[in-house]
Amino acid sequence: MSSVTSPNPPGALRKGPGIASALRPTSMRWILRFFGSSIGKKYVMAVTGLLLVGFLVAHLAGNLLLYADESGGKFKAYAEGLHDLGPLLWAAELGLIGLFGLHVFYALQTLRDNRAARQSRYAVSASRGAKTLASATMPITGAIVLLFVIVHLVHFRLDDAFKGDDPAGLVKSTLASPLAAAIYLVGVGALTLHLSHAIQSALQTLGASHPNFNPVREKLGLGLAVLLGLGFASFPVYALIAWGGGNS
Amino acid sequence: MSAASPTAVQGAASPTGAAGTKQGLKLVLKVWRQGARGAPGQFETHELQNVSTDMSFLEMLDVLNEGLIREGKDPVAFEHDCREGICGSCGFVINGQAHGPQKETTVCQLHMRSFRSGETLVIEPFRATAFPILKDLVVDRSAFDRIVAAGGYVSVNTGSAPDANAILIPKDNAERAFDAAACIGCGACVAACPNGSAMLFVGAKVSHLAALPQGQSERDHRALDMVAAMDKEGFGDCSNHLECVASCPKGIAGTNIAQLNREFAKASLRSGSR
Ligand code: SF4
Ligand code: FES
Repeated sequence: MSSVTSPNPPGALRKGPGIASALRPTSMRWILRFFGSSIGKKYVMAVTGLLLVGFLVAHLAGNLLLYADESGGKFKAYAEGLHDLGPLLWAAELGLIGLFGLHVFYALQTLRDNRAARQSRYAVSASRGAKTLASATMPITGAIVLLFVIVHLVHFRLDDAFKGDDPAGLVKSTLASPLAAAIYLVGVGALTLHLSHAIQSALQTLGASHPNFNPVREKLGLGLAVLLGLGFASFPVYALIAWGGGNS
Repeated sequence: MSAASPTAVQGAASPTGAAGTKQGLKLVLKVWRQGARGAPGQFETHELQNVSTDMSFLEMLDVLNEGLIREGKDPVAFEHDCREGICGSCGFVINGQAHGPQKETTVCQLHMRSFRSGETLVIEPFRATAFPILKDLVVDRSAFDRIVAAGGYVSVNTGSAPDANAILIPKDNAERAFDAAACIGCGACVAACPNGSAMLFVGAKVSHLAALPQGQSERDHRALDMVAAMDKEGFGDCSNHLECVASCPKGIAGTNIAQLNREFAKASLRSGSR
């Protein structure tokens, strides 16, 4: 029985132009299509976001050396170790800027898309309890973190004294001012709220979603966000209590 | 914005009603009225007396409309068909919640016993750029049809019906497919999403057919083309609030969105070498 053979070549059954049919052999158009699509944008945000979380873990681990000794010698050794990397450090920093830039760029794109997709508001707005303070304020907390990072870089990375004899001293004298401590607490607070949604959300976007482990994924994301938040917040708090007045 | 003068409509004080001597509900309805696509709209206030708690929400609107027609006024337009919660025609927003307050329930299956006497109910159409309002509570959801036409099907040769069970499907796959196939295409997910995203709907369609042997040959094209159609219609990007899941009358799970993402990424990678 040959009646099952279709007179049409395979694929001809598909109706409509379909983007896929526009692909040429060995074409790389999929890259453009992927990164221009709604899902591709979310992938970029998720991957860059998770890599930045990885950086935060390393950053916090390094900062904790501030507590290692009174003199700040361990922290200084760590800072010098980083500077000694030379071009490698530059490459790493360029990478970080790239990740951050991509994350912000795609955040602005999705923000624009989402605003356009939902122009009119409901007269009564009522959540069904799924959206959270963190998920609803992602663009705001993200913007606060962006501003905070700029201030933070000016304070330390761009201050030549940081490459000098006493980087720990610069940290102490900077954070000991109540205004600076307040800025750091706000920045870290916004970061923590951002991450409390972001980490588990990024994993869901990357496809890590199953009824068996979704509750664990959500708790792990929240737990890591809180740990990072407490860790980073400890510096301005400690600065106010232990270092406050002395150096300011 | 001049709200039309409030009308008081006598509800279905059915003498044979099961409510018996029980007094029905007194409700204040604020209903969105809009003459046509793009026309300005406003809320119109109506009072209903003695509404039977046994009525569905749509039956309550029928009562309102009968009263409006008797008064020579324009009845409130809303969509409905099966009134059994299976067709996906009905749907609007009650007090900020798509399909109203009851979990996993369409407005046609939502009963007035879910409300208290004296309540004010604000009734609005689904609001999303991709779902333009046509009249009152009726929105144009043909964007969903175009997404499905882009790939939400399997191609089969027509002819005599194939043998049942000619293709064996493992029970787990059948159940996963059926869970996703429960989507009735009502659009509440889009209405509830702060981003106006359709990813729960598209995720349900893609996951449904990806779980079945019949869906395999067109699997990659389906994911690519349906996502392209979704983006073209102007739906937003998912940011995992998952208000869609909480609002879905059929309990479609958020895992379908993650699967959509995986299917799209895999299909994109594979399409590059073609
Ligand atoms: S996923 Fe749920 S809310 Fe969305 S269209 Fe399907 S049934 Fe309706
Ligand atoms: S009218 Fe068919 S689902 Fe409500």
